[in-house]
Amino acid sequence: MAEQELVTIEINGIELQVPKGEMIIESAKRIGVDIPFFCYHPRLGKEQAANCRMCLVEAGTKQPDGSVRMMPKPQTSCTLPASQGLVVFTDTVAIQKARRGILEFLLINHPLDCPICDRGGECPLQNNTLFYGPGVSRFVEEKRHLPKAFPISDYVVLDRERCIHCARCTRFSQEISGDAQLEFLKRGADTMVSTFQNTEFTSRFSGNTIELCPVGALTSRVYRFRARPWDMKSQKSICTRCSNGCNIWLDYRPNRLVRVLGRENEAVNEEWTCDRGKFGHEYISSDRRLLSPLVRRDNRFVTASWVEVYQLIASRIRQAVEERGAGAVGAIGGAHLSNEEAYLLQKLMRVAVGTNNIDHRLERNQVAGGDTLLARLGVPFTQTAIADIEKAKTIFIFGADLVDEQPIVFLRARKAWFRFGAKVIIAHPEPTETELRFDEPLVLRYRAGTETTLINGLSHLILQSGRAVTDGISLEELQASLSEYTPARVAQETGVAEDALREAANLLGEGTVILCAGRVRNHPEYAVLANALVNLTLLTGNGSRGNGGLNILLPEVNSHGAADMGVLPDLLPGYVPVNDREARERIERIWKASLPAEPGLSTQGMLEAAAEGKLQVLYVIGEDIAQKYHDPELAQRALENAGFVIVQDLFLTDTAQYADVVLPAASVAEKEGTFTNTERRVQRFWKAMNPPSPDVKPDLNIFAELAVYLGKPLPVFSAEQVMEEIGQVFPAYAECCYDQMPAEGVRWMPTLTDRGK
Amino acid sequence: MSEAIRLSEYPRAKRIDERQPPELRFSERAVQELERIKRHYPNKRAAMLPALWIAQREYGGHLPPEALMEVAYRLGTSYAVVEGVATFYTMYNKRPVGRVMLEVCTNLTCSICGGYEILRHLEEKLGIRAGETTPDGQFTLVEVECLNDCGNAPVMQVGNRYFGRLTPEKVDALLEELKNSEEHTVVQLADTIVQCHLSESERQDIERALAKAQAGSGGQDGQNG
Ligand code: SF4
Ligand code: SF4
Ligand code: FES
Ligand code: FES
Repeated sequence: MAEQELVTIEINGIELQVPKGEMIIESAKRIGVDIPFFCYHPRLGKEQAANCRMCLVEAGTKQPDGSVRMMPKPQTSCTLPASQGLVVFTDTVAIQKARRGILEFLLINHPLDCPICDRGGECPLQNNTLFYGPGVSRFVEEKRHLPKAFPISDYVVLDRERCIHCARCTRFSQEISGDAQLEFLKRGADTMVSTFQNTEFTSRFSGNTIELCPVGALTSRVYRFRARPWDMKSQKSICTRCSNGCNIWLDYRPNRLVRVLGRENEAVNEEWTCDRGKFGHEYISSDRRLLSPLVRRDNRFVTASWVEVYQLIASRIRQAVEERGAGAVGAIGGAHLSNEEAYLLQKLMRVAVGTNNIDHRLERNQVAGGDTLLARLGVPFTQTAIADIEKAKTIFIFGADLVDEQPIVFLRARKAWFRFGAKVIIAHPEPTETELRFDEPLVLRYRAGTETTLINGLSHLILQSGRAVTDGISLEELQASLSEYTPARVAQETGVAEDALREAANLLGEGTVILCAGRVRNHPEYAVLANALVNLTLLTGNGSRGNGGLNILLPEVNSHGAADMGVLPDLLPGYVPVNDREARERIERIWKASLPAEPGLSTQGMLEAAAEGKLQVLYVIGEDIAQKYHDPELAQRALENAGFVIVQDLFLTDTAQYADVVLPAASVAEKEGTFTNTERRVQRFWKAMNPPSPDVKPDLNIFAELAVYLGKPLPVFSAEQVMEEIGQVFPAYAECCYDQMPAEGVRWMPTLTDRGK
Repeated sequence: MSEAIRLSEYPRAKRIDERQPPELRFSERAVQELERIKRHYPNKRAAMLPALWIAQREYGGHLPPEALMEVAYRLGTSYAVVEGVATFYTMYNKRPVGRVMLEVCTNLTCSICGGYEILRHLEEKLGIRAGETTPDGQFTLVEVECLNDCGNAPVMQVGNRYFGRLTPEKVDALLEELKNSEEHTVVQLADTIVQCHLSESERQDIERALAKAQAGSGGQDGQNG
């Protein structure tokens, strides 16, 4: 980007240089001058609304003769751009009076019910009134009355009396989330915020409006009356509800999580969270959490001590290994574990048990890192950093209802369009909510099952147009292999009109970001489709440079990390094939142990083996496979017929009902570690609370202790130490040592092949 | 327990599936008009005000929620945004009104010149209070602010016309006239405003298109959307 032009301005007599055009409300922060505000929010709007008038300042411009010519009236500093010679006063008598006037005005219809208002204690209106407001009001008339505590959804409660009409919530819903479900009705003194006809506020980002509201007009139905801000402690954490890795604050009282707030990370979620994240961590403080280990006796679960269960597990594993070999033991899980835990889990299985039967994937295709994308693009799953999505020239959402599947990635995609004018193509067999959030995107409504044809058809059109780029790909060969995908045929097969195909092909080019999710991961012919997508990526010139690229977004919080850590039957940490002798030996030297050289069983393989009674011990960690496996029946049969089932989880899940031993694990709030999000960003989370019982342990401890009982201790004592070891085994993680990790986390860079970006 | 704590007394908010298109009731003429008006603006959302006038005409003089939904759908925006605009402007009727709306000015000049007498007289004559509609659905009486015709005070707006220098007698005669006339109705006012948004040639175009559709009726079902 070009160097920003600097201008010299003066605030309260202090001279400073700021970028030209910066709003004075921001410039003032640079020298610690406090300007009160309500409606200003730097992320909202191409332009600020400037309707609360709280941020007034006096301003003028320096004249050539050195005098200052003041503007006749106070200016709103949230819309006053810095220009050369601007002189600003933020605390004159006139401004003090103006602020008192504004606050008195805003409070005319305000109910002042702070004692029963959830915002009390962290309320900008309360604070500004205290610091800048008048002591008394001259307004003695009846205030306006409207229904109080009106629930507009399961999450949000609206109190229209408290609203100061700052338009933050309405701007958010129109500009950021794009659902435009909140709007001002009526005008003047009757103005009120509402959904259409008071129908349900179904936005997937509704929780953000609660945080944005500078008063207690929008409050959380979940957090309602649970705590006062001063009763709570906060800890930095990472949301566990999808693979995006949003940064969040966990606000908790002793041993009880009361709410989740968005935490700023420019690289990931800016400051937003989706409702799944904001309201979906209640499980942490559920009373149904497991509190101690359980073993099955006479078909009932009885509590047991950790020593007992460790001894039992160790003896059953040893027995299995002796009778049938290490291949009779298998472990499923990892996508919900931290990197450190996932790493230790696979090390436990490989070193202490001696098997490669380990897998974290529950989806049908069990897409692994070692597949098409890694081989041809040099990245396991995603090429584009989340923050770079907004720089895209074209966004191609392929087979995904992005709002639902990857809400925060969706916000970036929408920003690319709304703020920066990217073109948008949405291909999906059914109408999706995502389509409604863009103005007339190009929609390709293909017939389900014709995904590969569609992509090949687009590639074909680009090849024909002569715009194709040679980027690690032979255009002649491709041309030959795609020659049959003529627009006419593709249109006929996919049901997408030829014109639309051509229009789409024209929009695809350098700077195209392709976003795919579940439908692509689970496609019956994933490998073929992935190849087609890679071809399209390469020939549009997005293979190795620029911000464009192919992104297959992942399902779970640490799906990426589990793959990185080698919770896969055929790959060691760092995508090292188990049967690559040289590479394996390097890891053996670090671990001072010998490793099995044969690839183990995948989840599907393990479940099939278990269903046939061939698996003596099945260890399931943090996954409710009886419910969530894509083929739940197979999982249930496997759990029934496995010799010995160990389930490690927070709850007595359906899977745990089949267990012989249940191990209670700590939640994300009760331990520390790192997760790797879908764009390869390794981010730390910290321990907030103690586990609900002293017998609940972090998974890391369980793996480490179990190894001791198996006679092969893994000498580590903390997550931090494990991360150091990970850095040795998989050098891409070397920068992730806890003491070096920057606040934004580390997006590890693939050095796996010569490609990758 | 405090009123603020009890949430359960409110019925659960109804959910609308935005992916489901609403019921569409615009006539072929309305569709044609909107099509043309949209072209006057850089984006179709900017056609919101005329679109609401079309809807007010099509839905018989006021804008029920269904009308707002139809406008939102046809302009590709959210229901809430349309409701926000419709409720901002007072000339869009959010509730059912009579066939004819009598809007009596009681602002400064008119009140000095007898605006309130006119209003009271009408209240008596029609047997309703300002803001109400006669049981037969003929008239809705409203008290309004300055109509910008102070020179003719006291003034009353009826549909697309102003009637000034009113006296009770003039009002009586006017009421009789209005009862049996198709002029100055709420629907006619909406149509007048819609027509103002169209040029002469556009209006002719629409007539031609409608005639053609009529001729080949049963065939194409117009370009919706
Ligand atoms: S919004 Fe703020 S000022 Fe208003 S009642 Fe709540 S805490 Fe008090
Ligand atoms: S509800 Fe809150 S955020 Fe929305 S306009 Fe009112 S005060 Fe502002
Ligand atoms: S913050 Fe500037 S006008 Fe509201
Ligand atoms: S006061 Fe009635 S028209 Fe002006």
